[in-house]
Amino acid sequence: MGKRSRAAIASIVLALVLVGLAYAGFGATKTASVFLSGLTLAALYFLLAAGLSLIFGLMDVLNFAHGTLFMIGAYAGYSTFGNPRLLLNTLPLFLTLLAGGMVGAVAGRPLRAWERTVRRRRAGEGQDEGGRQGLPAILVRLPPSLILALLAVGVLLWGVRGFPLGRLVAFEATATGGAIPTAEAQEPLSRMLLRLVLMALAGLLAGPALVRGRERRGVWGEVALAVGIALAGLLLLLARDPLEGFLLGLSVDLRFLLALIAGAAVGGLLGALMERTLIRPFYGNPITQIVLTLGLMFVGTELVKAVWGREGHPPMTVPSLFAESCRSETFLAWLTEHCSSIGVLGRAFPTYRLFIIFVGGVILVGVGLLLQYSRLGMIIRAGVQDSEMVEALGINVRRVFTLVFGLGSALAALGGVVAAPFVGVYPEMGGIFQLQAFIAVVIGGMGSYAGTAVGALLLGLARAFGDALVTSGIALPWAEQALRASPAVARASTVLIMAIVLLVRPAGIFGRKE
Amino acid sequence: MGRYLLEVREIHTFIGQFHILQGVSLAVPEGSITAVLGRNGAGKTTTLKSVLGLTPPRRGRVLLAGQEVQGRPAYEIAAMGVGYVPEHRAIFTDLTVAENLRIAERRRGDLERRADFIFGLFPDLKRLYRLPGGHLSGGQQQMLAIARALVPDNRLLLIDEPSEGLAPILIQQLMEAIRRLSERVTVVLVEQNFQMASQLADRYVIIDDGRSVRSGPMAELLEDEATVRRYLGAVV
Repeated sequence: MGKRSRAAIASIVLALVLVGLAYAGFGATKTASVFLSGLTLAALYFLLAAGLSLIFGLMDVLNFAHGTLFMIGAYAGYSTFGNPRLLLNTLPLFLTLLAGGMVGAVAGRPLRAWERTVRRRRAGEGQDEGGRQGLPAILVRLPPSLILALLAVGVLLWGVRGFPLGRLVAFEATATGGAIPTAEAQEPLSRMLLRLVLMALAGLLAGPALVRGRERRGVWGEVALAVGIALAGLLLLLARDPLEGFLLGLSVDLRFLLALIAGAAVGGLLGALMERTLIRPFYGNPITQIVLTLGLMFVGTELVKAVWGREGHPPMTVPSLFAESCRSETFLAWLTEHCSSIGVLGRAFPTYRLFIIFVGGVILVGVGLLLQYSRLGMIIRAGVQDSEMVEALGINVRRVFTLVFGLGSALAALGGVVAAPFVGVYPEMGGIFQLQAFIAVVIGGMGSYAGTAVGALLLGLARAFGDALVTSGIALPWAEQALRASPAVARASTVLIMAIVLLVRPAGIFGRKE
Repeated sequence: MGRYLLEVREIHTFIGQFHILQGVSLAVPEGSITAVLGRNGAGKTTTLKSVLGLTPPRRGRVLLAGQEVQGRPAYEIAAMGVGYVPEHRAIFTDLTVAENLRIAERRRGDLERRADFIFGLFPDLKRLYRLPGGHLSGGQQQMLAIARALVPDNRLLLIDEPSEGLAPILIQQLMEAIRRLSERVTVVLVEQNFQMASQLADRYVIIDDGRSVRSGPMAELLEDEATVRRYLGAVV
């Protein structure tokens, strides 16, 4: 038997002992509901931890902004669900900016070619001491690019000046599908069109300076794609009112599904963008990466506060499957009754939390299958061990990095949306869940997927039992009075588990020594 | 030109602040086995990595079939038909033997097309097909690493220290395999074991202190005892 399967068995035994202990103290009914609460938390921890672990395993990046992506996903999903107006009014701006950038990148090809020749000439003279991505290369690039970039920032700021963001996000009451912002709250169409033009211009200016990489499509292919994207943005804007009516007219279930998709997509795109632009230059430089992702965490949190406000929002409405205010006694009965809670050994448990567990399970199995049986998964597993060798096989490993970063971020953001009807949305939610996810990754063994799942499970259970200890205490067979812990113990329970695991296995349950 | 599959001209490579290669040149004719010789730390491994772009040279040129490739990302150079067998047999220990081979495919079905050739060279691998790479012995891992480089349609194989840490009997088998595969692909072989290198290679280049100092047909080197003693510390 391998060391790792022994570790797996040991952790399962540990979990069983915990459950058994609780059973003795709490009785079956309470144990069952505490156990399910633990699974709910574990599922959310896992959605965050899976991406953290994949990103750390493959790229050796500790992404402190992961919780922020979780939180942004929650907000994006929440907005899609309750206030599509915000998205319909801001998406066109992003799309035209992107389209402008693409055209700018194409137009900037001669500029980059010129810069390359200059660089090559200097390299030939042996003055280029910084290497391919080093400082002098940037210096050579800077002068014309810097001017363009500054101009782009200027135009961009001009474009967003006076944008009525505050009115767009005033949707406290719409979370339940009710109050909709009044028409005056929207920017008039003519001013929006002007903003779009300015966005495209800003993109055009920024394109030559920022976009690098190889030229895969031809000039006209690139321009056609950009025009398509810009047109999509324009259409979205022109159709914003009917679209808003349409979206809000959809059933709660469909809007919930859209929220899941939109949240995950926003998270995935943000993550991929972050890797491509900010993290990529700093591979192999852990200190810079940590400072960078920590900085992004603060910036992201503050941006969310700037857009959506400092105050949190109450839990999102749950889909109709979990909405009826009644209590189903069995799972089969729930399938027809759609009650908001279900009797578990005679005690009510919210059915939406079962859905969270379900999502966690689906993602666990889905990503597991992807890792085990797809070519991408094979490349990821190989890259976790030796990404240089993967590249030497002729595989564009950088692209895999971007993909995995995007995938991990999408999972986190999906977790945020799934959590929104459970805990609501608030700017600090990212930090709270991220801390637990980090602990789960450490317990499981950095970079091990199975370990992360086990770590999340242990943590979720520990936290739920810790909470139960505080709220109702535990009647131990050898003690006369019920043992009751202080709230601090519940919060410490996860760290306690980490300490125990790391004492026994310093590299984590599934970890291996470097 | 033309007749060389790989030409390296005066490359300089830095690793961090260290100027590792200070002018390495080599010319590899199509269909040959070229041995890169030299003492420990002379820059042999860095030379291979510079050709492939894993440690891109800062100056000088690398021509693959007449085309300049220096400065391109390693995956592009590899995809032009360069296979790499790194030192310490860097196979993927968590992947099965099958996956280790499959991952090297550049087009669907590469492995099936090459299976007869590969398993003809290394019959053991067929038996071990489903095992994780980490369960293989050192010799088997080395064979897997070479087999992996043979899966796609490679024209050039860069093999780094294949005999390192292997028993003499295994080295014999390995030499035989390299001799047979060299009928199909051009080989650049970094080797400490001068006996092995001299029996296999038709050409040599000696790297000393980051510079290529001698090169030519292997037969000439075998006559030149002074050079061998001076740069390799070996006896012919």
